[in-house]
Amino acid sequence: MQVKTFSTNTVRGFRQNWDQDTADGFRPNVAVVFSSVELDLTEVIAFLGQKGVKVFGSSSCGEFLYNREGKVISEGGLVCCMMDLIPGSFDLGLFNGIGATSFELGKRAGNWAIKVFKDPAILVVASGLTIDGEQLVRGIQDVAGQDITMFGGLSGDDAHFKETIVFSEASAESNGAVLLVLDKSVYDVNGIATSGWVSIGADKIITSSVGNIVYTIDHEPALDVYKQYLDVRDEDLPQIGIEYPLLIRKKDPDFVLRAVLNVDREKKALIFAGTVPEGAVVTFSSSPGFEIIEHTKKKVNEFYEFSSRSDLLILFSCMARHSALGPAISEEIDEAWTKWNKPLIGFFTYGEIGNNYKNSCDFYNQTFTLVSIKQK
Amino acid sequence: MPVIFQSLIDELQNIKSSEEFAGSRERIMEDLLRMKTEHEKLNFRYERLNKEKNILSSLLTRTSADLKKVSENLKIRAEELSAILATIPAYVFFKDRNLNYLLVNKGFAELVGIPAEQIKGRSVKDIFLNYNSSDYFVTEQRVIDSGTAMYNVEEEVEYNGRLRWVNTNLAPIRNAANEIIGLIGISWDITERKHFESDLMHSKELAEAGTMAKNEFIASISHEFRTPMNGIIGLAEILKNTVLDEAQDDLLKGIVSSAENLLALVNDLLDFSAIEAGKMELDFHPFMLDRVLEDVFQVLNLKAREKSLGFSVIINEDVPKHLHGDSQRLRQIILNLTNNAVKFTEQGEIEIHIRLLNRAMDRALLRFEVKDTGIGIPPEAMNLLFKVFSRIKQKQHYLISGTGLGLSICKKLTDLMGGDIGVESVYGKGSTFWFTLPFELSGPKLQNPYNTQTAVEVSYSGKKALVAEDNLINQKIVSFQLRRMGFEVELTDNGQAALEKFASMDFDLVILDIQMPILDGYQVAKAIRQQEKGTSAHLPIIALTANAMKGDRELYLEAGMDGYVSKPFTSEMLQQAIEFANKAAARKITP
Repeated sequence: MQVKTFSTNTVRGFRQNWDQDTADGFRPNVAVVFSSVELDLTEVIAFLGQKGVKVFGSSSCGEFLYNREGKVISEGGLVCCMMDLIPGSFDLGLFNGIGATSFELGKRAGNWAIKVFKDPAILVVASGLTIDGEQLVRGIQDVAGQDITMFGGLSGDDAHFKETIVFSEASAESNGAVLLVLDKSVYDVNGIATSGWVSIGADKIITSSVGNIVYTIDHEPALDVYKQYLDVRDEDLPQIGIEYPLLIRKKDPDFVLRAVLNVDREKKALIFAGTVPEGAVVTFSSSPGFEIIEHTKKKVNEFYEFSSRSDLLILFSCMARHSALGPAISEEIDEAWTKWNKPLIGFFTYGEIGNNYKNSCDFYNQTFTLVSIKQK
Repeated sequence: MPVIFQSLIDELQNIKSSEEFAGSRERIMEDLLRMKTEHEKLNFRYERLNKEKNILSSLLTRTSADLKKVSENLKIRAEELSAILATIPAYVFFKDRNLNYLLVNKGFAELVGIPAEQIKGRSVKDIFLNYNSSDYFVTEQRVIDSGTAMYNVEEEVEYNGRLRWVNTNLAPIRNAANEIIGLIGISWDITERKHFESDLMHSKELAEAGTMAKNEFIASISHEFRTPMNGIIGLAEILKNTVLDEAQDDLLKGIVSSAENLLALVNDLLDFSAIEAGKMELDFHPFMLDRVLEDVFQVLNLKAREKSLGFSVIINEDVPKHLHGDSQRLRQIILNLTNNAVKFTEQGEIEIHIRLLNRAMDRALLRFEVKDTGIGIPPEAMNLLFKVFSRIKQKQHYLISGTGLGLSICKKLTDLMGGDIGVESVYGKGSTFWFTLPFELSGPKLQNPYNTQTAVEVSYSGKKALVAEDNLINQKIVSFQLRRMGFEVELTDNGQAALEKFASMDFDLVILDIQMPILDGYQVAKAIRQQEKGTSAHLPIIALTANAMKGDRELYLEAGMDGYVSKPFTSEMLQQAIEFANKAAARKITP
């Protein structure tokens, strides 16, 4: 499996890099493209459509590429990974979510995946502002099984919170998902998801919610509670919501973080990236500062001990980590790149999907979700 | 100062020439770039912290306010709980998983006479001296192991030198992770209640013994009444057949009436005591409903006519005639209700009406109604009916005799037979007493051989009867009645003499009292049957008995007797018994 990667800030640069990397006769059949919404994605898709490659594409909230040529963390740019996978060992599908719930969309996509391969590994990107990541995961698991191997992220839009896009070589969707399925008999696909966020404040109860929309917390309007407790202005929302997610307590010590992706000001409701069940016990949460970098490094090293061979690393890192760590974000990305010394491509997301080692897949916020792909 | 700065300064100070600088330039640049990166990170962090300051400060302020509120609420709850524990009239304790006390309330500490703080960490055996209730320990351990509450655990403990009974409810205590970390117990001193229960039990036993003794006494005394009653009624009957003037006839009628009333009373008392003692057993057999009603009609029609009352019996066509049940008890209920109807009706009529309520397969539910046009029952007295010894106190009733047992017995009997009984009445206009009874249906060939039948005048002229009876008055009555039927009578006053007479003379009938000196009636009957063995002879033998309990008939038949008649009896009853015994004996004679 040959892998070539490049980054650019313009569509022109994208075309030049592609042509340059294929000048030696390299004929990729899959391209992973993470791009800012600032770039003209229509042009990018049109170009790739002529190249006969399957495209696993997503808009981002910042993108990064670590390879031997350098370490790039950009905003407003594009990163691309070209691969020549074994024919018949992969397939790619784009699914439109209009008129379907996220769960139904997940079921449709999952059904397709298990028809392609008996035992597939799934890479998925889904529109961050329109898809309930948790329900998408549950829908796929409903048909493909709880133990399905799956990693991915929710697309971003450079923190504009207006339109998030996923795309293939044929089309782009602002309400949909793209799945790249790999035959697990040909590829090892493993990964980790680690957060480091900590709980702050007293327990609160979700007193009214439907799916990923929370109406009241402790019988008070959810939006009012959020604004009062964090002393945020109305115009700071929803941007700040992804940095200060709710921490939903599960059976101690387990918990899951849910970031605010949108608000319904009329109903004073908060719209989260995943389901927040009524009756759930929650707290606010925050990153503890640069400490989370050490936490991530530790987890990366543990994962390296578990799976030290890789052809390509893809990282789905929550945009809140970038906001919280700033330039220090490079330290945790660098740790992964240094360990495996293989190309690492990724983007800052509005939500992450992944298995933790062999555990069943889940939907996360605020995590560093790293996946390693290795041809057997 | 950071080390990197000092080393950079030192290095620059040591540079003596531009050549040396050129050699170090690359390394110095690397250091400067690294410093720049670190500076950017720190600068970002500083700005970030500034940005976060308000958010985190607000969050902490709000959380602090929340915690203060929670703390105040907890304090209030704790004070409330403390007040409840202090004032609750019970002994409350908390124990850890090792069943050692963690906390006890004031009541508990006062009970055992040890300050609460000294009880903490100790076990029940440390607190209650001489404590050896292993069962109680097992119960507490079960609560810890199973997580299930246990209620009303009773045990006797000793404290302050006194034995006390306590009742305890135990429930597990769980932590936030739902793990059982101990138990809570609430106990009450139930010593007084235990004593009260014990006294109550003793009183109950005494009362039951008293009731039993009373019933046995009533049964016994009632039985003893029957023998002289037999004499009075029998002798009155003899007297009736002598020449009497009008005044004497009236006096005799008074004697007979009083004796019959007394007999009815005795019979009621016998039934009542049997029911109360749970000894009333039903005797189910096939019978014809018509016959029972004919008998009732014959008994009461005369009384009704004496009061110029109309008297009719209506049996609906769909009512099955061949039934299986206790005909004697059915007759008793109808007689009792009808007798009352006659008693309380001065003009108009009495009607007995039988309807079929339900019929399924081989069972039928019948409703019997006894309707009168009598004085009726005042509404306030309706609920007193069917209760023991309750009689309606009404001026009009003062002249009417009775024990108040009749309706109570009727109710008990219908209950026993699976039926129901009730009354509808309009005060001043009349009453309808009704009862329902379920019966099994029997075939037309299955008729009760003991069913009462109308006696037919039969002459036994030239026949010889042997009578064994130790009571002289009864001897006179039986011999008078037999002689009236045409029998020649040989009298003996014990069983041995009867057997001797039987051996020396030929008889057509033997009548044996059961309780006799030397040999009783059973023994005589068995001896006669023994002597008949090997021959085709089977002499009719009738038992005379004062007993009237179920099971007696089986005893007589087992002894080889062909029939029986209970004392006191009339000529008709005796004649019926003779008729029946003759027929039974004829069937047993080997041709």
